[in-house]
Amino acid sequence: MSDLLRVNGLTKQFDGQPVLRDIAFGLAEGEVLAVLGRSGCGKTTLLKILAGLETPDAGTVLLQGENLLPVPPNERQMVYLYQEPLLFPHLSVFENVAFGLRIRKVPRAVADAQVRTLLAELDLAEHAQKAPHQLSGGQRQRVSFGRALIIRPRLLLLDEPFGNLDAQTRADMQQLFLRVSRQHQITSLFVTHDSREALTVGTRFGYLDRGVLSTFASVREFIQDPRTNIQAELSFWENIQQTAVLTP
Amino acid sequence: MRSKLLTTLLALLFALPFVLLALLAVAPAWRFPAALPAAYSLGALRDLVAADNELLAGLGRSVLLASVVAVVATIAGFALARAITRAVRPGRWEALSYLPYALPPVLLAVLIQPFIIRLHLSGSVGGVLLGLLLIAVPFATLLLRSFWTQQAREYEQLARTLGCTARQALWQVLLPLAWPLLRTALFQTFLLAWFDFGLTNLLSVGKVRTLTVQVFTYVGEANAQLAAVASLLLLLPPTLLLWANKNALLRKTE
Repeated sequence: MSDLLRVNGLTKQFDGQPVLRDIAFGLAEGEVLAVLGRSGCGKTTLLKILAGLETPDAGTVLLQGENLLPVPPNERQMVYLYQEPLLFPHLSVFENVAFGLRIRKVPRAVADAQVRTLLAELDLAEHAQKAPHQLSGGQRQRVSFGRALIIRPRLLLLDEPFGNLDAQTRADMQQLFLRVSRQHQITSLFVTHDSREALTVGTRFGYLDRGVLSTFASVREFIQDPRTNIQAELSFWENIQQTAVLTP
Repeated sequence: MRSKLLTTLLALLFALPFVLLALLAVAPAWRFPAALPAAYSLGALRDLVAADNELLAGLGRSVLLASVVAVVATIAGFALARAITRAVRPGRWEALSYLPYALPPVLLAVLIQPFIIRLHLSGSVGGVLLGLLLIAVPFATLLLRSFWTQQAREYEQLARTLGCTARQALWQVLLPLAWPLLRTALFQTFLLAWFDFGLTNLLSVGKVRTLTVQVFTYVGEANAQLAAVASLLLLLPPTLLLWANKNALLRKTE
């Protein structure tokens, strides 16, 4: 499969401190690259460079063969989703989702119909006229997701988007993300510090540590890499289970 | 019962100066030790509508000056606050913004007067405007600094990736987000310019007679009735602004 996104030799320093070192990877259409990494490993910088919000010191970013670096963020058709949903408080849920279409001056009737369909798909139809502060954390994140999806992004960049949600809502959102990404064939780069989340949402996997990205050819390789800590976690749960079985 | 009495007493104390002003405005001759004016006349208030009335002209001048100061200072403050946030050493620039407050406005006027004269702006509305902006712009900058947080930056970046140009991100996202604070900045810089006497009087060299300057003149001339009428006019725009902003002000105290 040919790559939709191809990144080569991406390097970035802040005040002489290297944040990204020679990053290289490819991403095919419809794939979800789940990148695992601890805080400060360079995840956010990588996403911001891809979104056009930061400039790299060196390297190339090609999208369908086109050099992306000179393209401003508004023309990249790549949406960056933060940990916070960042809904616009002066707009209703409906208008938040419609935002990208209004900016693109899509005829009102067409835009409204698209928003209604997407709101129904995200189980938000009954909240359409509410203000963002009237929604729960999970609902806000769904609106944020809808606001990104409506413009049919070529690439979705997710920066620990469910990090602030409680465990149950987070699991629900992961399932929703999976369902919608498959349905709309969305290509995304999903960064997280949670290995379980990475395994749930990813179709391909990477590990970013001190600015160096390692990508894995299979889930097995990802799980077996000691840096991901997945083996240690599995052992922990197996020990717990064995102890529980042995304890009368 | 006790708290009700206290509230009434406080309300009376608050209202008393306004009642006195209203009485003075309609009393052509109210001499000590009379408790109330001997005669009442609406003459001074009626004169306000005369075409050549200096008070009304002063009101117009004050409204114009304070409005221009409020709008220019708020716009400049918004842009400067953003620039300071993104500067290499924002703390230094912020400290610099406090400098105009190290001096009383009248002393600031004394210091800038030579420059105003060299710019041929002495005694002109432009000169007074420049002087007032020197106080109002740093004030608005400091006030609006609190808007430019990391979250404001994230909102802006999100808007850009959703398809906004820098200008669209400003108009469609940042300005609506900042509006409550911008409204406060407009209101406060308006009041700052509206009530200024020392700086305006010095830089205008008696030629730009704003309403505040006229109040002081009438008080100096012991013309109590005209001073009272001018003071009532002086209270009018801030009262209207307070009334228009009451929802926002009350919300803040909740």
